[in-house]
Amino acid sequence: MKILVILSQTQDTEAKIKVSSSGDSIDTEGMKWVMNPYDEFAVEEALLTREKHGGEVILISIGPARCIDALRQGLAMGADSSVHIKDDVFADSDSFATAKVIASEIKNLGEFDIVFTGMKIIDEESGQIGIQVAEELGVPHVSLVSKVIDIKPDERKVVCQKEIDGGYVVVEVPLPALITCPDAMNEPRYASLPGIMKAKKKPLKEVGLDDINLESIGLSRDSIGKEGARVKTVEIVVPQIERKLKIIKGEDDPKVKGEEIARSADELVKLLREEAKVI
Amino acid sequence: MSQDIWVVADLKLDGSLRKVAFEALSEARKNLIGKLGGQLCAMLMGSGVSGHTDELAKYGAEKIYVLDDAQLKDFSTEVYTIALSELIKKHEPYIVIAGNTVFGQDYFPRVASRLQAGVTMDVIDIGLTDDNRLKIQRYSHSSKAIQTQEFHSNTPMMTTVRPNSFGVEEYPVQAEIINETVDLSPEKISSKIIEIQTKESGRPELTEADKVVSGGRGLGSEDNFKYVYALADVLGAAAGATRAAVDAGYCPYDMQVGQTGKAVSPNLYVAIAISGAVQHYAGMGSSKVIVAINKDPDAPIFQICDYGICGDLFEVLPPLTEDLERLLAQD
Ligand SMILES: Cc1cc2nc3c(=O)[nH]c(=O)nc-3n(C[C@H](O)[C@H](O)[C@H](O)COP(=O)(O)OP(=O)(O)OC[C@H]3O[C@@H](n4cnc5c(N)ncnc54)[C@H](O)[C@@H]3O)c2cc1C
Ligand SMILES: Nc1ncnc2c1ncn2[C@@H]1O[C@H](COP(=O)(O)O)[C@@H](O)[C@H]1O
Repeated sequence: MKILVILSQTQDTEAKIKVSSSGDSIDTEGMKWVMNPYDEFAVEEALLTREKHGGEVILISIGPARCIDALRQGLAMGADSSVHIKDDVFADSDSFATAKVIASEIKNLGEFDIVFTGMKIIDEESGQIGIQVAEELGVPHVSLVSKVIDIKPDERKVVCQKEIDGGYVVVEVPLPALITCPDAMNEPRYASLPGIMKAKKKPLKEVGLDDINLESIGLSRDSIGKEGARVKTVEIVVPQIERKLKIIKGEDDPKVKGEEIARSADELVKLLREEAKVI
Repeated sequence: MSQDIWVVADLKLDGSLRKVAFEALSEARKNLIGKLGGQLCAMLMGSGVSGHTDELAKYGAEKIYVLDDAQLKDFSTEVYTIALSELIKKHEPYIVIAGNTVFGQDYFPRVASRLQAGVTMDVIDIGLTDDNRLKIQRYSHSSKAIQTQEFHSNTPMMTTVRPNSFGVEEYPVQAEIINETVDLSPEKISSKIIEIQTKESGRPELTEADKVVSGGRGLGSEDNFKYVYALADVLGAAAGATRAAVDAGYCPYDMQVGQTGKAVSPNLYVAIAISGAVQHYAGMGSSKVIVAINKDPDAPIFQICDYGICGDLFEVLPPLTEDLERLLAQD
């Protein structure tokens, strides 16, 4: 099977963030970058699929030079090769243009069977790109898949479980298809030391603006980058939420004990009624 | 192209309308329609849904497009994408709004791509620029930041809105009902729903609730989640959970609150035996009042809450639940 993974690099979840002086972006100076956490699940699912059905796993990312680290990590986890769409003109493109560019590169790779990608990127949190790539490719998608139940390469079908309100649904879609991955669908493996060594020799293809025929995919220089975006960020703020931090603790031990327990419950109820006025 | 605004209504398991449609209608009336000058419309899609038009008219939908088709009985990405895309192409609304529900998240980006439209997800504020482009606010960066975004002049401008972000206001109108048809014949559909397993909890919907009580890994078992449910029921609250609790099998996935799960913004959020991880906070950080019960004084949740008790949940919850029950019974 030809298995693809669309992945990206993102600011670490734990990072403290600060708005840049332009006021419309986050200051990335000194920022720690990691593979988008949801994409780790996508890579793992791709590797599991290859273990079961054979074939190859190809990673695709669009982004600046630093994204190579995310691709290397995926290769070290076990993917076979990668494609890096790298050109500064694509920076700050909207999801619409980004999806078109990714889809065109996927088409350039020839026929494929299945694409895995994270359910969203944790910095922008748009949650659109994977789904829009599927639309551009003209293949079905299943989002928020908690379990890939069965892939039937011969029958050209994949069966997945997807979580919905109040339960789940099992859907079957024809291959090729695209699947978006939440966390907890598997346990992403770590890149082993030999994996990291081997990754250094794996193919890393680079693609730039010159390699892409924008007109043929319905784009132009005016519809990529920040200026061409159908949706543009004009301001970003980091709100400071003041919390009251009134924690009821015990006398000798931080934990309330014995008679303190009933008293702490009374006190909390009183605060919620009289001060917070929420009950 | 018209100047109309569409609100796509989405249904719950029990066949009732989700409140977010009324919220979107109310907010669109307040912030958008006066300036734009078009009509405020609702789009009702499903099977056997025609009976809901009165409710939508009560919240100000002047025109209601109804697509009642047996093919829309269960949510299928493919079928709903075709249905909504075709109707947007036919009527060319200016703005299309839907709730950021499990379904909205799934097919809205796809419809936008099909129509070459700009789209934003999960917004908490909607307005217009001076030249009538949609302008929205949304959380980003694990809910640590709020972005303001403006649309390009391309239409339609599409967005999903976060449930519970806007107030609802009745605005009864006499609605014009327009019955629509779209060719959804089975030969055109390649995906198949094999099985649906759903169960109603009997509690309020997480994203719509005014109060939420959530439990974490510290509950220790499925059976112990009764402590969470008991408090939730006394408060008339929805019940939520962390990913650790869901993973351990203590409760179903649809209770998960957080970056992967639901985003909630109730007036009261009670976190029981929850450490307060960034990914959990991303789904509940905008709650008005946060209460934490945790036995570890150093748990990060105590840095992000309003009130808390440092204690063992199994000792604290029974008297707390009882106190509240007594108090609320007196009201
Ligand atoms: C990509 C990604 C996405 C994620 N998405 C989500 C998400 O959507 N939602 C989410 O919740 N998490 C999410 N997580 C997981 C998250 O990082 C945390 O692991 C999780 O929230 C922790 O859950 P917890 O607080 O229940 O468990 P723990 O961190 O184990 O905390 C349990 C707490 O219970 C307390 N406790 C134990 N026993 C008692 C007792 N008897 N009485 C009182 N207190 C007690 C302990 O002191 C502790 O603070 C995600 C992680 C990743 C990597
Ligand atoms: N620049 C990018 N290059 C490759 N994949 C991306 C890029 N941006 C987002 N994605 C992937 O698309 C999925 C959905 O992301 P998003 O729609 O941006 O929230 C995630 O798996 C992302 O890693």
